[in-house]
Amino acid sequence: MTFIGLILRNIRARPLRSALTALAVAIGVMAVVALGVLTDSLNHTATQILEIGEADLTISQKNTDDIINSTISQEDIAKIGQVPGVRRAVGALLGTDAYDDQHPLVIEVGLAPEDQAPFGVNILEGRSYGTDAANEIMLGYVFASSVGKRVGDQITIDDNTYTVTGLYSTNVSFGNSTVMMPLSHLQGLNRLDGQVSLGFVQVDKGARVETVGKAIDEAFPQLATIATASDFGRADRNLMLIGAANTGGSILAALIAITGVLNTSLLSFFERIREFGIYRSIGWSRRRVIALVIGEAVVVSVVGAALGVALGWGAINVLQQLDQLRGIFQPIYKADIFTRSLSFGLTVAFLGALYPALRAALVAPITAVRRE
Amino acid sequence: MSRGNHNDGPAIEARGVSKRYGRTVALAPIDLSVARGEFVVLVGPSGCGKSTLVNMLGALERSDTGVIEVAGHRLGRGARHLNHFRRMEVGIAFQLHNLIPRLTARENVQAAMLGAARRRDRVERSEELLDALDLTARANDRPPTLSGGERQRVAIARALANKPPVILADEPTGSLDDDAAELVIDIFKEWCLEGGTVLAVSHDPRLSSAGDRVVTIPVAAEGG
Ligand SMILES: Nc1ncnc2c1ncn2[C@@H]1O[C@H](COP(=O)(O)OP(=O)(O)OP(=O)(O)O)[C@@H](O)[C@H]1O
Ligand SMILES: [Mg+2]
Repeated sequence: MTFIGLILRNIRARPLRSALTALAVAIGVMAVVALGVLTDSLNHTATQILEIGEADLTISQKNTDDIINSTISQEDIAKIGQVPGVRRAVGALLGTDAYDDQHPLVIEVGLAPEDQAPFGVNILEGRSYGTDAANEIMLGYVFASSVGKRVGDQITIDDNTYTVTGLYSTNVSFGNSTVMMPLSHLQGLNRLDGQVSLGFVQVDKGARVETVGKAIDEAFPQLATIATASDFGRADRNLMLIGAANTGGSILAALIAITGVLNTSLLSFFERIREFGIYRSIGWSRRRVIALVIGEAVVVSVVGAALGVALGWGAINVLQQLDQLRGIFQPIYKADIFTRSLSFGLTVAFLGALYPALRAALVAPITAVRRE
Repeated sequence: MSRGNHNDGPAIEARGVSKRYGRTVALAPIDLSVARGEFVVLVGPSGCGKSTLVNMLGALERSDTGVIEVAGHRLGRGARHLNHFRRMEVGIAFQLHNLIPRLTARENVQAAMLGAARRRDRVERSEELLDALDLTARANDRPPTLSGGERQRVAIARALANKPPVILADEPTGSLDDDAAELVIDIFKEWCLEGGTVLAVSHDPRLSSAGDRVVTIPVAAEGG
């Protein structure tokens, strides 16, 4: 018998209790994994909007709940184009509509045809729409194949019927699932004449992005310039809330798991006081007793963490099926999810078993011979 | 605990040792000296403090008065290295066995050696002891399924596991039949021939007649 063998033996001696403790840890890890992947993925999807314009700086309205609800006047975009160091400023209006049950959230981009090339739009097939054409539309090629439409077909979105004039791709995959129409038409549909959602700024060669960004910030106090993904997180209140929910949820999950481990370890401690006294009476050190108790918790928690990763993966698949998240939630698994889960399990085991382990270590050797 | 020279002085030396629990006198002051290689049997009426003395000699608790020295280690206030002492210098076969119910007979013996001997030695030593005590057939059984006599022998095997110089055995033959008692007595005698020391608490005439010497503890005076 080895020390590890003894640990495993003690775990197997109380199978139901060990399994329930592992389950508590598993649920904690599941929550951490699911929340973590959800947050990472939503952040990623959202920040792809930044990249779509191939811009050095993205301009949004300051303090907007959701970047998609930002409004900026086209006049401001034109003025930004005149700021020293700015090579080009393009405004785009973003809207959303349902297409069908499989596509409940389609992002519509309103963009003037002449701004398509600078914006990074690459026409794969057909042609662009007319500047003010009310019944012409282009489809991102991924969306087109998903709905089975080709150039020349008719498509109806929210009671408006369009002819598909072309298919396009963009520099980021997210853009390939959007649809694009004349800016003026989308403004009309959304009653946002003269407004765009975001501005995309490219700076002159040799100009510093920060300098230009600062100049724009000073000249347009009602606007926010966004250069990086973390700037974006700060500009978008929803993402901030998601981040906070992730942190809060993870802490809560950890507390629940720690309570589970503490409960089991403490219960075992009270049942095993005499056993710990026996170990001490035959010469085990306090450290060895602590190692036994914490070792048992660690093994159970690591098993629970592995189970939790699997449950988390399942939970993510369920989330993906939710109508509210369909289309915007594409799970991104970062490699550190496993190390994070493992360290979560180890931390929970350590914190949950620490107090019972210390109690066990303090059992006096004489306890072994006391009659109950 | 100060470490003396292992080669001189008695194996067990107790002078003026006593213990009380609240108003109960568990052990009236007693002097006891056991030489190295000696097999001493301790007798006395029930409740006179024999088990209490064994606990104190095994460093499981401290005496109220007096001085105790076992295997060259001074026990008592300020004693250090007690884990090492309990593990390597003294082996106790408890009156109530005190085996771990979840572990098999073999594992109970090996548990005493965890961290004190290499795995191969632990296996070898436990097989050797189980065989010597005629327990090989029950090696994989747990204490709740063992008979009283079998449990008693497992407790003795565990006490011998780390080959400590001093063995303290509390009623080691109480529930043994004649064959098994003889087995245990032979093991103790051999132990002493090899330089070990045995202090056995017993009312068993088979044991007291086998010992080198019998020491009687008088009954503790109430309220002392
Ligand atoms: N923890 C304790 N608290 C209170 N009294 C105790 C405690 N341990 C022992 N005693 C008392 O001390 C006295 C001596 O007990 P001990 O177990 O040493 O006797 P013993 O000589 O071994 O008896 P036996 O032959 O029946 O085993 C008894 O009266 C017992 O009730
Ligand atoms: Mg007794």
